[in-house]
Amino acid sequence: MKQNRFMLVLGLLVVASMVLAACQPGPVATPEVIIETVEREAYTTPHPILSDVRVRQAMAYCTNKLELVQSVYPLAPEAQQQELVLNTMMRGGHWAYAGDENITIYPFDPAAGAALLDEAGWTLAEGATVRSNADGETLNIKFTTTTAAFRQTWAAVWEQQMEACGIDILRLHVPASWWFGDTTGLARRDFELGAFAWVGQVDPGGVTLYSCDQIPSPANGWEGQNYMGWCNEAASTAVKNANNTLILQERIDNYKILQAEFTKDVPSIPLFNRTETFAAVAGLTGFEPISGQEYYLYDVGKWELPGQDTIVLGFTQEPASLFGLVEDAFVAQLALYMVLPGAITTKNYDFQAVYIQDFATIENGGSVLNEVEVKAGDTVVDANGDVVTLEAGMSVKNFAGEIVEFTGDPIKMQQLVSTFKYIDGITWEDGVPLSSADFALSQKIACDPESGATSFYVCDRTAGVVFLTDAVGYTHSWLPGYTDPLYFTPIWGTYPAHRVLADGRVLADVPAVEWATLPEISEQPIGWGPYKLVEWVKGEKLVYEANPYWVFGAPKTPNFVIQIITAESAEALLLGGEVDVLASETLAGLSQTLADAEAAGTIKTWSIAGGTWEHIDISLFIR
Amino acid sequence: MVAYLVRRVLQMILVVFISAIASFALLSLAPGGPLAGLRQTPATSRFYISAEDIARIRTKYDLDLTIPVRFTRWLIGVPRGPLVINGKEYFGDLVVGCRQPIEEEFLNDRGKYETRVTGCSEIVYLRDLTGRSASRGILLGDFGVSWRLLRDRPVSDLIVSRLPKTLQLIGLETLFSILIGVPLGIYSAVKQYSKFDYFFTSLAFMGSAMPTFFFGILMILAFSILPRNAGLPYLPPGLSESVRDYTIPLLGTITAGSASDRVLHLILPVSVLTLVNVAFWSRYIRSSMLEVLRQDYVRTARAKGLRENVVIMKHALRNGLIPFVTIVVFTLPGLFSGAIITESIFSWPGMGRLYLLALGDSDYPVAMAVFFIIAVLTVIATLLRDILYTVVDPRIRLK
Repeated sequence: MKQNRFMLVLGLLVVASMVLAACQPGPVATPEVIIETVEREAYTTPHPILSDVRVRQAMAYCTNKLELVQSVYPLAPEAQQQELVLNTMMRGGHWAYAGDENITIYPFDPAAGAALLDEAGWTLAEGATVRSNADGETLNIKFTTTTAAFRQTWAAVWEQQMEACGIDILRLHVPASWWFGDTTGLARRDFELGAFAWVGQVDPGGVTLYSCDQIPSPANGWEGQNYMGWCNEAASTAVKNANNTLILQERIDNYKILQAEFTKDVPSIPLFNRTETFAAVAGLTGFEPISGQEYYLYDVGKWELPGQDTIVLGFTQEPASLFGLVEDAFVAQLALYMVLPGAITTKNYDFQAVYIQDFATIENGGSVLNEVEVKAGDTVVDANGDVVTLEAGMSVKNFAGEIVEFTGDPIKMQQLVSTFKYIDGITWEDGVPLSSADFALSQKIACDPESGATSFYVCDRTAGVVFLTDAVGYTHSWLPGYTDPLYFTPIWGTYPAHRVLADGRVLADVPAVEWATLPEISEQPIGWGPYKLVEWVKGEKLVYEANPYWVFGAPKTPNFVIQIITAESAEALLLGGEVDVLASETLAGLSQTLADAEAAGTIKTWSIAGGTWEHIDISLFIR
Repeated sequence: MVAYLVRRVLQMILVVFISAIASFALLSLAPGGPLAGLRQTPATSRFYISAEDIARIRTKYDLDLTIPVRFTRWLIGVPRGPLVINGKEYFGDLVVGCRQPIEEEFLNDRGKYETRVTGCSEIVYLRDLTGRSASRGILLGDFGVSWRLLRDRPVSDLIVSRLPKTLQLIGLETLFSILIGVPLGIYSAVKQYSKFDYFFTSLAFMGSAMPTFFFGILMILAFSILPRNAGLPYLPPGLSESVRDYTIPLLGTITAGSASDRVLHLILPVSVLTLVNVAFWSRYIRSSMLEVLRQDYVRTARAKGLRENVVIMKHALRNGLIPFVTIVVFTLPGLFSGAIITESIFSWPGMGRLYLLALGDSDYPVAMAVFFIIAVLTVIATLLRDILYTVVDPRIRLK
């Protein structure tokens, strides 16, 4: 009886929820209040102040970037502070950097800035502190950025620098959730001057940031990240060309044009690279964080601490899963890197082959651009980069690289085909050699919508993959019309197809839908890297042991532990001997405590220029 | 008594149900979650999030369903599809959500663009839920799967991994703080305005006024970092155990993971929490005892010529402890919820940290599970308090 009543209550609850569900705004309901229809031509009115290039250049001259660096990294040596300063969107030394002689550099020169402002009609009346124009309007500009203490610090200094040039900055510190929201702040170009950071990559990309058709507006559904509204045809063409060609020198030349135009127009003021700080107990050898190489564990097999058979690395965030396909958090990728390292490294923003025989470049024959004939109904990548079923009237790139309209008659297009061969001797930690079947399994799972993967961009643009039988690797064919600036780097990872699971099944036979919850994938993956994961105590630590089958021999230190700690206790644990290494994802910067400990000889610190760079975007148009 | 208990249990169920609705509604309305920032994820040459990708993720985490439907699936695991009676489907066409909402831009009265959902391009019907994974419901002990902290794996795994450490820490702290705080409070009350009373009252004020994070850092500095650097015996600065053996002067080599290692790691966090809570308990007992000591029956007992010990322990203490007993049961939810700040300062892998991480990472299934369990424990504690009242105070009868 009681059970019946309980079921009755539950039933009523369900019915009530259904009723409530039905009462929800109907799926085809019209909005209750329509205030104004969207203006499709929005953001075509030049900003009354900032559309004048002289004002933007003046602001660049009035910006003392070194002082900004010193405000946030006061403990860094001066040489390093100087090294952090940026003149364009790439740091010096990057393979795509244009060189000082090919860009316009704005050294700190308030006099030059003042002269440009005078020329632009913004003059400083006697006794006034803020410039004004002939109409009596004062030079006030809103400056928006996040509430992060780091930005509050340098923004306050920058405000004073602008004030010294007679520019009145109204500083607004807003929550990051609004500033970076999907439908607020930057995404809606709701700023005049706006500061945030981009993450510089070894491949500069830049199409979504600097090309004319990537300016977000109501007309294009707010697509793109060119929040400045900067449309310079030469720069736009150059950045697209840089990303459409596979020839390295052509890429370099196009990025040179982009940087020249960017620094001439000043749609954004690049400021400085953020630092990445690392700290380790004194005596640790083999640990060498390098700019451009995101995964600082790239050489973990060489790490050695005299008198210790275990090295302890502190993580302030625990990996959620070691299934790399669904978990993209940096800490998870690092924890996985111990057992499944990357096939390449990107030290100093360049590429180095580690586990592959060579990069698959056009120059060395590893990749080829085949001429293929396509006809109506074929799947290709169109001129916009979208995967389409070819129909008359569509724009595609022909074999010569020209954008043409498909008339319905067969047409020749480019098809990129790359072959990746791995070095000999790579062996899984259970003693089974790496095989092409392991790549095949990786590709199969990555392209299965049931796997939980977030993006299928690569899969959708893949024409086919042939797994090699005479070597360990594969030959990847892209859809006709697709080009990838990183085409020469490996695409697919590896999973141990041979692995027998606890329930007796073989991994290769397990449906993709189960992978995210499979302990052998999410918690106890096996690999072929320097270490093997032997235990994961949730909330506490991941314990690794040397992989006896590592292709480069035994790691210098037989045991490795990733200890889960809190940011509040990180430095105390390092100084107290509980952890040996703290890395950039834990340390916000070089603290006085760490500097003192280094001076006392108990620890060693490293500060390198990170990929993240601060800049001030300038909105060139208003709604 | 039985009627009272039945009534209270029914009330408890209602309170738990309301708290479940409240926690679910609040966290459902909170920003963040698996979709947050996805559209702002920088596109690279090999990674791009499409509208279909977002729709798929919405479906995976039930975010395409209306809040009431999500709530019942979270609470009791239904609906899982249309009602089937004798092989015939009912309510299959009932709209339960939207997989792909239509969003449009509008200018609001402040001249800002605003995105609003104006319709749905792909409706979710009840029949679409057939075969979709769902928990059995939190009422049946299935807290669902974690969105972030243990991606796609059971929330209960996370709780089970943290709970023993929290029980250890908070259990010991509660035990020690009561064992120390109660006698101190009694003594202070009996010796009111003595030097001892002034001294401990001052200490209690300091203890209750000192922020745990500051006190914790001071303790780490004083008992760990500085003595270690000076070559003196020291305590581990944090964690629940070491990962390798270490040597402490006078104590010798401590084996990682051994009982002595764990005890040493417990000393600092338990001490910080105990010292802070001793202040609370001693102040509480002191005021309670002072009130009792002023009662006529205590004066009568003394007038009868009873020894002071008997007066205090037999006549005053039993009555003085009545309010104490009613408060002590509320350590029950605390045993589960942990101590957020102390666990953070000492890298203690307990429930407090888990709760903080869940909120920080918008892992709402985890946060809701913790909320729910704390709510249940709180109402249980309330019931226990009422029952204990009748035990410690014979004047009270529950009806």
